[in-house]
Amino acid sequence: MQHFTYDDSPYPIRAGLGEAHRRFWDELSKPGNWFTGKQRVAIAQEVRYAIICPFCKERKAALSPYSVKGEHLCGDTLEPRVVDAVHRVITDQSRITQSYIDDNAANGLSEEEYVELVGVAVIVFSIDEFHRALGLSPEPLPEPQAGEPSRYRPAQIERETGFVSMITPDGATGEEADLWPDRTANVLRALSLVPNALRAWIMVATEQYLSIRAMTQFGDFEGRALNRMQMELVAGRVSSYNECFY
Amino acid sequence: MLSLSAEITESDVNLKMINGDENATPGDVAHAGALMKFAEAVASRDEEQLASARSALLEAAGAEVLVDAAAVAGNFQRMVRIADSTGIPLDERNAVLSHKIKSELDLGRFATAQHTPPAGLKRRLKSLIAKPMAVRMFRKLQQ
Repeated sequence: MQHFTYDDSPYPIRAGLGEAHRRFWDELSKPGNWFTGKQRVAIAQEVRYAIICPFCKERKAALSPYSVKGEHLCGDTLEPRVVDAVHRVITDQSRITQSYIDDNAANGLSEEEYVELVGVAVIVFSIDEFHRALGLSPEPLPEPQAGEPSRYRPAQIERETGFVSMITPDGATGEEADLWPDRTANVLRALSLVPNALRAWIMVATEQYLSIRAMTQFGDFEGRALNRMQMELVAGRVSSYNECFY
Repeated sequence: MLSLSAEITESDVNLKMINGDENATPGDVAHAGALMKFAEAVASRDEEQLASARSALLEAAGAEVLVDAAAVAGNFQRMVRIADSTGIPLDERNAVLSHKIKSELDLGRFATAQHTPPAGLKRRLKSLIAKPMAVRMFRKLQQ
């Protein structure tokens, strides 16, 4: 099946968007660093369950996420801790804490698995949100491909800032030399414990927003209908509504 | 980045639009009001509001603008979740550059502001010097 053809779209969709989304769907279906293809596609499905999950809605409205008990609306492929983490990332991310991640790590959801599930969940969500913004149906999920996770862990990792380990600011060398030049900002480092998660979001962000290189440009962009100020107005309003300090 | 973009391109921008102020003047940002409402409708997940904002942006600016605005909105629905799920603080360099605007927009009220150490005298002083320097540097890069 050819994904993201946008044949049914009433609006012309730039070819680069369809291509980036197709490439990510292919990545999604394959084994990752810590999850199988089947588990990764199941994580994508949980993103969609999270949006309509009654328990998530009740928890989001509660004063504390721990003050309500219940069960998620979910599939049956993933462990409950993985399901809960995906639902939290999508529906109640601002109340995720270090102790939540540490407790998960002590009980079977490792830091590496957490980072990979965040990477999968947020990219699927950003593509689904693009569709929803245009009134398009969500793309059918890909068929999982067979194989085992690589369990690859980069060498130059530190646990100095944020909730999870990351590649050091000057540590994008060797196998990770393509991730960033010299030094970089925390937002790029955030998912670097699973380098392919970072590569995937850069690839999709390059089409949905801007490439890393283009971020130092502030005028018009060839092939884009929005200039930089218009992009930043949309970005700023979405971020502010989501109460994003970053 | 909106503030920086405006300074670098010497454009007039009303930053109150970031907080959804409907009375904010659009300045030099084309279709500012329609873009602001569309972005807010995507983030709010109010489907009725979204349908209305989508139609208004389409009518005002055309299909290509609508598609690119949807792409950027989807992108930033992701970025907030990466930042919050990993608890990353704002890098000191970015904190210095954005100190004034974060104060003006009162972004310290957000719960996730606690991930970044509060601004001390040093950051406030550095922000007075660093922002104009950054604007000059980026202007040179555009040439």
